[in-house]
Amino acid sequence: MRANQPNFAARVDAALASPTLKTAIDRTTGTAERNRARAVAAWPDFQAARDLGRDIRAHVVNNIDHYLVEFERNALATGAKVHWASTSEDACRIVVEICRAAEAKSVTRSKSMLGEEIGLPHALEAAGITRVETDLAEHIIQLAGDPPSHIVWPALHKTREQVKELFAASHRDPGAMEDVESMVQAARRELRAKFMAADVGISGANFLVADTGAVCTVTNEGNAELTTTPPRVHIVTAGIEKLVPSTTHAMALLRLLVRSATGAELTQYTTFHTGPKQPGDLDGPDEFHIVLVDNGRTNMLADGLAEMLRCIRCGACLNHCVVYRNIGGHAYGGTYPGPMGSVLTPALDGLPAARDLAHACTLNGSCQEVCPVRIPLPTLLRGWRDRSWREGLEPSSVRTALGLWKFVATRPWLYRLATAAAVRGMRLFAKRGWIEAMPLAGGWTRHRGLPAPSGGTFMQQYQAQKRKAR
Amino acid sequence: MTRVALFVTCLVDAMRPQIGFAAISLLEQAGCTVAVPDAQTCCSQPALNAGDADGARTIARQVIAAFEGFDFVVAPSGSCAATIKVHFPEMFEADAKWHARATALAAKTFELLSFLTDVCRWLPHDARLPGSFTYHDSCSGLRELGVMAQPRKLLAQVGGLELRPLDGNTVCCGFGGTFCVKYPAISNAIVEEKARAITATGADLLLGGDLGCLMNMAGKLHRTGSPVRTFHAAEVLAGMADGPAIGESV
Amino acid sequence: MSRERILAAARAALGRSGNPDAGAIRAEAARLVAGADRGRPPRSGTLTERFIERLTDPKVGGTVEQVASLSGLPGAVRAYLFTHNLPASIALPPDPALTALDWAGIATHHRIATDEPVAVGLAACGIAESGSLVFHSAPTAPTLHNFLPLHHIVALDTAKLLEWLEDYATGPACGGRAQPRNVNIVTGASGTTDIEGRLVRGAHGPGFLHVVLFAGG
Repeated sequence: MRANQPNFAARVDAALASPTLKTAIDRTTGTAERNRARAVAAWPDFQAARDLGRDIRAHVVNNIDHYLVEFERNALATGAKVHWASTSEDACRIVVEICRAAEAKSVTRSKSMLGEEIGLPHALEAAGITRVETDLAEHIIQLAGDPPSHIVWPALHKTREQVKELFAASHRDPGAMEDVESMVQAARRELRAKFMAADVGISGANFLVADTGAVCTVTNEGNAELTTTPPRVHIVTAGIEKLVPSTTHAMALLRLLVRSATGAELTQYTTFHTGPKQPGDLDGPDEFHIVLVDNGRTNMLADGLAEMLRCIRCGACLNHCVVYRNIGGHAYGGTYPGPMGSVLTPALDGLPAARDLAHACTLNGSCQEVCPVRIPLPTLLRGWRDRSWREGLEPSSVRTALGLWKFVATRPWLYRLATAAAVRGMRLFAKRGWIEAMPLAGGWTRHRGLPAPSGGTFMQQYQAQKRKAR
Repeated sequence: MTRVALFVTCLVDAMRPQIGFAAISLLEQAGCTVAVPDAQTCCSQPALNAGDADGARTIARQVIAAFEGFDFVVAPSGSCAATIKVHFPEMFEADAKWHARATALAAKTFELLSFLTDVCRWLPHDARLPGSFTYHDSCSGLRELGVMAQPRKLLAQVGGLELRPLDGNTVCCGFGGTFCVKYPAISNAIVEEKARAITATGADLLLGGDLGCLMNMAGKLHRTGSPVRTFHAAEVLAGMADGPAIGESV
Repeated sequence: MSRERILAAARAALGRSGNPDAGAIRAEAARLVAGADRGRPPRSGTLTERFIERLTDPKVGGTVEQVASLSGLPGAVRAYLFTHNLPASIALPPDPALTALDWAGIATHHRIATDEPVAVGLAACGIAESGSLVFHSAPTAPTLHNFLPLHHIVALDTAKLLEWLEDYATGPACGGRAQPRNVNIVTGASGTTDIEGRLVRGAHGPGFLHVVLFAGG
């Protein structure tokens, strides 16, 4: 939910110009990549587990109407209130109304990418409600005024020096902050009282369990439970695709989710939230609201993107993407970066604004290789390229060049003449085997030498040999 | 005799014909009769990757017609072979007649190095090249065709040639076909890291199985003043690596 | 209404004409997870050994000791407080099984403070696969006791160790009337890698998790 300004190329240039970004990205994603590899190596049947993950998620997506109704019925039975939101605006309006009804002044929020997607932080601010982000990374970027740059580590673009500055400027008792440990302690001190003072706690959902009506959240910090337990009201915002048939299915997916994200077996805190406080309970909210958000998901289901709805938001495709690893999350310009973001953003923000994302990919297939639910991300990106072509969104220069190429490539005799001529032409620019600059080749030669064609074309030489042999 | 049609690939045709001749030599050593169909141009990737599905199908039909009469189709490129083997059948999912022809062609299409080991069960016996090499696994061959052990198995037979493992050997080099010219800054950032890793191996040679990736890496190695020289693995296996490497003048 | 719009859009996208066949869907869902070992990691050793191995893995970060019975818990807590140079005062949930123990020498209180140094609790069960403790919210087991303290000392009956996550999922506490408001599956001490990917303990939840295993039966 961010404006696609400035354009992709400018955002990429800004990212590549940063002296710290690449190092910062590599620190976190490199660790995640190594830890994941270790976890996968320790589990010989990991590929079978991925099949199971794919099958469970596909089953849910193929029966999403059934599971929505089942989940709603069971959640209502636990005393939860269930709300439905077709659009991000609907979802934000519902959340703000619940906060107003509760006369909430302060709201704590546990990291939720869905919340970012629907623009909830902005909506709360617009409604004059104090928003306290409680995930450490979200706390950092709230102080910095940045959007998240990764779906698991939203602040991975920040160095420790930058975090220290932010904390020193805003915390009541930041301390000396000589190391990362003391920075984490500073945030713990800062947020503790705010957890307890909040009127409403808002969380996302990693899974919605259809047969119990429970909402599952996972965190390593414990901020979700501290967000959702003390306040009078707990609001869950969740995409409708988050459903699973039962707790058993959720467990199978948790194994995959956590290993794929961080390489751990399980997150430190996996919690199933079921309804409001029960009679006699000493803590827990009086009201428990679940907002089920569509925001384009049923369109994705209808438009050939059902496979993308399997996504469980582990971030492995980001960590293993050479493009993400170099440009970081902000360059993508949407809520979700990396390969999964490049598939989702055109669906959420419209293809014209996100056309570049489908193309800014080498189709190397690493993302698909690590996806715990086997989403064919490169195929889905190709799907957006096809659609962009069909809808005439590709630049006319590309269409003209490709048209010319097709004209030649479908006429082998002409192709022979054209390649032979091109080879002769290119060799005019060669110095000691290399072309360092040539018209129309700037994209290549700006950054690397172009090896000059070594002689006549293969076809010319082959025909000549055959003639000689006869 | 097995009748193999060589899919030369547009890059080998224009930029480095020697790889095509190396492929013919290796296939003949492995006991194949090699033909080079006249009607070939390109595998369709520029159209396919641009999203021009109709254009890609037009070229694909031309490839299918030109090559379906042979026992096997072999390309000295994992990327072009994967286009025929993996993507042609996908492209004709809505057209039963062409889908059948595409599927039949896909079944007999192979990348050169894996064809030599997996189908011909052939290994070089008198190839020799003193020195060290490092190997980059190009993505399409690696992930779409499972080419990884095969080139190493073949190169292990080359006398005097020692492998220096490459850190991040399965990480994309940033070529990506037209990606490298459409998004030159990103491509550059990726290949810069790759070139650093290659140079750090201290190997004499960089070898691989895809000319596009090799040109990209060789071009960056050249710009960064690296001493590493780049060849297609087929050139080494065919004993044709005694001349200029990619980008060196005759 | 959003509800009808969403369901209609989903049904149209799925090409459904009538209502989905709930029985068939349930059967398919059950089939997916029916294969006993489909998609489970390998295992070795006894249940208790596996639990301890996972819990004390550096990634999980828990510590453990074993006592003969629950009555050994206060002694273990005293020793822990002494070793860690902590005040002899703990938050104790109003669980009769805990309050009945002899806490001589340690001041106990039920209401947990925002900055509670130490809380002692009793886990509903444990999961060997992941080294996890399971807590059920109840009038005798407030949720915040598991999250506010810096040191969390937890007693776990080895007879309540389960093998797999699924064994918990299919047990009595999942679904139906017995489902507590909160099921907290706690796997080690709180941690964060949000600053430069570096693992730091005690982000918001307990920085230290100590498990006291006892043989109940």
